Amino acid sequence: MKIVWSWLLELCDLDRMPSVDDGARALTGAGLEIEGVTDLGAGFSGVVVAEVVGKRPHPAADKLSLVDVIVEKGGAATQVVCGAPNVPAPGRRVLWARPGATLPGGLTLSVKPVKGIDSPGMLCSEPELGVGDDASGIIVLDEHDRTPLGAPAQQALGLADHVLEVNAPANRGDVLGHLGLARELCALLGGRVVVPPDALEPDAELVASDLDAAALAAVAIAPDTRAGCPRYVARVIDGVTVAPSPRKLAARLRAVGVRPINNLVDVTNYVMFELGQPLHAFDHAHVAGARIEVRMARPGERMTTLDGVDRALEPGDLLICDGARPVALGGVMGGLDSEVTAATTRVLLEAAAFDARTIRRTARRLGLHSEASHRFERGVDPALPPLAAARAATLLARLGGGRIARGAVDVHPAPRAPAQVPLRVARARAVTGVDLDAAACEDALTRLGCAVAATDGDALHVTVPTARADLAREIDLIEEILRLVGYDKVPATLPPLRAAPVSTADDRPDRARRALAAAGLAEAITFAFQARERGAALRLPAGDRRADPVALKNPMSADQAVLRTSLVPNLLAAVARNRNFGVPDVALFEVGSVFWRADRADGLCDEPVHACVALAGARPAWLGEARAWDVFDARGLAETLLGALSTGAVRVVAGAPAAPVEPYLHPGVSARIQLDGVDVGVLGEVHPETREAFGVEVPVFVAEIDLSKVGAAGAGAPVRQMRAIPRHPGAARDVSLLLDLAIPAARVRDVIDAAAQPLVEAVRVLEDYRGDNLPAGHKSMLWSIAYRAPDRTLTDAEVESAHEAIVARLCAELPAQRR
Amino acid sequence: MSTAASIIAELERLSGEFAALIAPLADEQAIRAAQAQFLGKKGQVSTVMKELGRLPPAERPVVGEAVNRIKGAIEHTVAAKLADLVARARAADLARVVDVTLPGRPHGGGHLHLLTQVRLEAIDIFAELGFAVAEGPQVETDWHTFEALAIPKDHPARDMQDTFYVTDDVVLRTHTSPVQIRTMQAQRPPIRIVAPGVVYRRDDDPTHSPMFTQIEGLAVDVDLKFSDLKGVLLHFVRRFFRRDLDVRFRPSYFPFVEPGAEVDMQCSFCGGSGALPTGPCRVCKTTGWVEIGGSGMVDPDVFAHVGVDSERYTGFAFGMGLERMAMLRHGVNDIKFYYEGDLRFLQMF
Ligand SMILES: [Zn+2]
Repeated sequence: MKIVWSWLLELCDLDRMPSVDDGARALTGAGLEIEGVTDLGAGFSGVVVAEVVGKRPHPAADKLSLVDVIVEKGGAATQVVCGAPNVPAPGRRVLWARPGATLPGGLTLSVKPVKGIDSPGMLCSEPELGVGDDASGIIVLDEHDRTPLGAPAQQALGLADHVLEVNAPANRGDVLGHLGLARELCALLGGRVVVPPDALEPDAELVASDLDAAALAAVAIAPDTRAGCPRYVARVIDGVTVAPSPRKLAARLRAVGVRPINNLVDVTNYVMFELGQPLHAFDHAHVAGARIEVRMARPGERMTTLDGVDRALEPGDLLICDGARPVALGGVMGGLDSEVTAATTRVLLEAAAFDARTIRRTARRLGLHSEASHRFERGVDPALPPLAAARAATLLARLGGGRIARGAVDVHPAPRAPAQVPLRVARARAVTGVDLDAAACEDALTRLGCAVAATDGDALHVTVPTARADLAREIDLIEEILRLVGYDKVPATLPPLRAAPVSTADDRPDRARRALAAAGLAEAITFAFQARERGAALRLPAGDRRADPVALKNPMSADQAVLRTSLVPNLLAAVARNRNFGVPDVALFEVGSVFWRADRADGLCDEPVHACVALAGARPAWLGEARAWDVFDARGLAETLLGALSTGAVRVVAGAPAAPVEPYLHPGVSARIQLDGVDVGVLGEVHPETREAFGVEVPVFVAEIDLSKVGAAGAGAPVRQMRAIPRHPGAARDVSLLLDLAIPAARVRDVIDAAAQPLVEAVRVLEDYRGDNLPAGHKSMLWSIAYRAPDRTLTDAEVESAHEAIVARLCAELPAQRR
Repeated sequence: MSTAASIIAELERLSGEFAALIAPLADEQAIRAAQAQFLGKKGQVSTVMKELGRLPPAERPVVGEAVNRIKGAIEHTVAAKLADLVARARAADLARVVDVTLPGRPHGGGHLHLLTQVRLEAIDIFAELGFAVAEGPQVETDWHTFEALAIPKDHPARDMQDTFYVTDDVVLRTHTSPVQIRTMQAQRPPIRIVAPGVVYRRDDDPTHSPMFTQIEGLAVDVDLKFSDLKGVLLHFVRRFFRRDLDVRFRPSYFPFVEPGAEVDMQCSFCGGSGALPTGPCRVCKTTGWVEIGGSGMVDPDVFAHVGVDSERYTGFAFGMGLERMAMLRHGVNDIKFYYEGDLRFLQMF
């Protein structure tokens, strides 16, 4: 919200006049953050107030005049060439941009010939100074303007001023007008608020004794609507002439970001920005029956708002109706039919208090956000309507030449008593850690307009002004006291140490990250949302829960429409991106949540944390000895990861073209990963169609593991226990086998394990050889089996017996031939 | 018929022959073989020794002495030869020169994401003060995200956080604060937790990302004060930035804390002076202070939602953006870098 500095100061009687920077600093320090201070007159310079002392036609051009101006009484006149049709008679004042002046847009003036006659600068119009849209002529100051000759034009235009951009907290509806900020400034700097006198009572000279507001407007609030509209004040102003507003009033509106329209509309806005109370002006002639009824909309009811839209209403919407029909959507927007126009002469002014939530619901549902609804949503002081109505009536009558009907119609069925809040000083000390005493608390609260009575040394009884609906509890008062005392008075202390409880947080994700980073991979973090197509590239069949992602109702773009169900797509996109940016060799991992629809009472989804590695191109190379990543790297990394999280046995189960592991993996180069017999993930080469969907033209190897299935979280994680280091020598025996190509290594291993020879300590494959010199359809494998007994040195005979038993089973069961 | 003299002469000849034999040999095995050829049970010296028995007893000691002398000589020659071989091998080994200026062979060399590094460090720092890690879901109920934090549906504070909705009652959490609620629902005071995690807001520019990372803190206990909150944050700032930077509070409004404060710390770029040797500090816009998060004392309404007695207990809560922490410490100048998976960025840290 924008605040005009001079306007703010008009509403304060401060003990000491602050600079605008001092004021901004004080407000910011008290939580009313001033996000910027703008010099209103910074748009131009070197333009001064000058008096016309003579004018005559330009000898060479019909439409030009030669104008003599002075900048001090009795001073020498300067002749300026002017093209405007409205050059005033001698004695009136204009704005002269002298040579050297700069105008908005960067133009610097000099002495320039115009149709043969030198013109030192120019006389300015509104658009030339960026202060309005009237391009029909130059600016001519009002006859009663008292700005001295030669003074900067900013003074005459109300631009010798600053605008403060205030970031008002959402709970401070009371500071959405200059008056509220004046209250803050006075509390902070010391001083008294000055309410405009005509807000307390309209200017008596403008009141028409023969017109009675009560006779011109009847107001009723339906009994069931009193919560939604606790107060409604109406005033009537008669004989108004609609005209442009005076320049300074228009300048203030422009400064707070509102476009001036005419005196009638401008006054309602002006008073809203001044006092914080939104107003609405009806054309009295169009208020049927001269009566206003405030009620809730009926089912199926409709009305056309002043933007011309015909709107369907709901029973929660608050309506202002005349004797015949709805004329406004209360606090949100006026109706089309009752709006004031240039022809309006009698005005019915509305100043009402509306319930914040009622207004917010309607404004949100209809997507109608206005300066008025913004204020009502944040709470408007129910004491304000009569003040705002009186103030606006006075301004309107003054500017529009009208008369104010005697009295106001003020319907306020259940006035709210100011809140009474008890405060314990000891509690304030205990919560803040600041050494506050009763006097300091009382001082702060009094400065904010509260009435404070001490009941005993520690307990204060605080009466809160109605403007501060946010101060309802002791803790609210404690914050206010601290705000006034200054947050900089809060010391830095530390809470006493306590023994930490056993952590129950799942540390598997971080252990996985550390393991994979230690293994040489770089960690990526990608968005949890993605384009729907990105998931579709996984080629998952309908019915797979990952093919039906959680969708956002209001995504920012189609690229972020759904939540990921797998980490693979984003990593493939990262592989593609790196390769496009000239990084061909990619070894990335991500550990993060995936999101699966779940049938849960609370509507949430399953969010297991997955770990995924993606490898493309070559491994980190030494000199020229690069080697491409392959599926065994993916498996090795999966084993490294699982080893970091679990003591269980890892096993992979190969897929086959007839039974693919995943549709997004190569059917012949993929496997399920099992830990202690439970599926925990998959690994393999990415299916060419999947990676091509991401624009990756080289093989990519991935492993994705569901960490929620691996080991246990946090304190439940297994703690490895020491085992005895073998003290007796072991012995190894190799066996070379010729076997069918279709027999996987895992099958060989299974047979060895099934032999259950107790002396077997370790089993390794040393060679997997396929070559022309072998019988067709066969391969040769070399296996090495280590034997050891924990309690003795094995004899050759023992080793041979165990080894031969295993080899015999291999040959019989695989089958295989010993080579 | 051998005589003592002829045997001795033969031994002398064998000794000479042995010396000639092993002189060119350069490996231990061949030298041992030669030694066995002369001195072994069936060796040439042994063969000569068989003649010894045929000599008159009086001559035997002379010959025996010669045998021992020649055996000794052979053994000595072998030992010297072997020692020489070892010395040569060592010298040859030490004569090797490898160009160690060639690059190292790559090992390990992975990278935790900068945000992970910062998060883990923050967890460790808060752990020093007794804070344990807590977690909650990212897809969260409206109730945990807003209602229980004193932000009802019709509250203007909802405008402060532009929310992604999954359904009318389920959102992507806009802050880590719902973890406060879940923790207080599950655990009685004393509570001291930090909750790091990703959060989501409909916002996208160089300093805002629709997904970003917060770390939330919550302490609930008897006698906790607003000043304790300040001390905890001061400890964090100094440990994390490794400098004696100061922290200040500014009044601010968050519906779920009261008193509420915006937390500023002295600018880590200019040390709070507002100026750098190269000119004005742009990170803090010359103010010397940068905003790092929001904080405050847990609002009694929040305690009421989770059944904590707000007369008996007080609590404080804070939240900070980890991207911002990393930006301030590592100079990351656009938030988008964190989420692109670009190795050129990831490998910098
Ligand atoms: Zn700085």
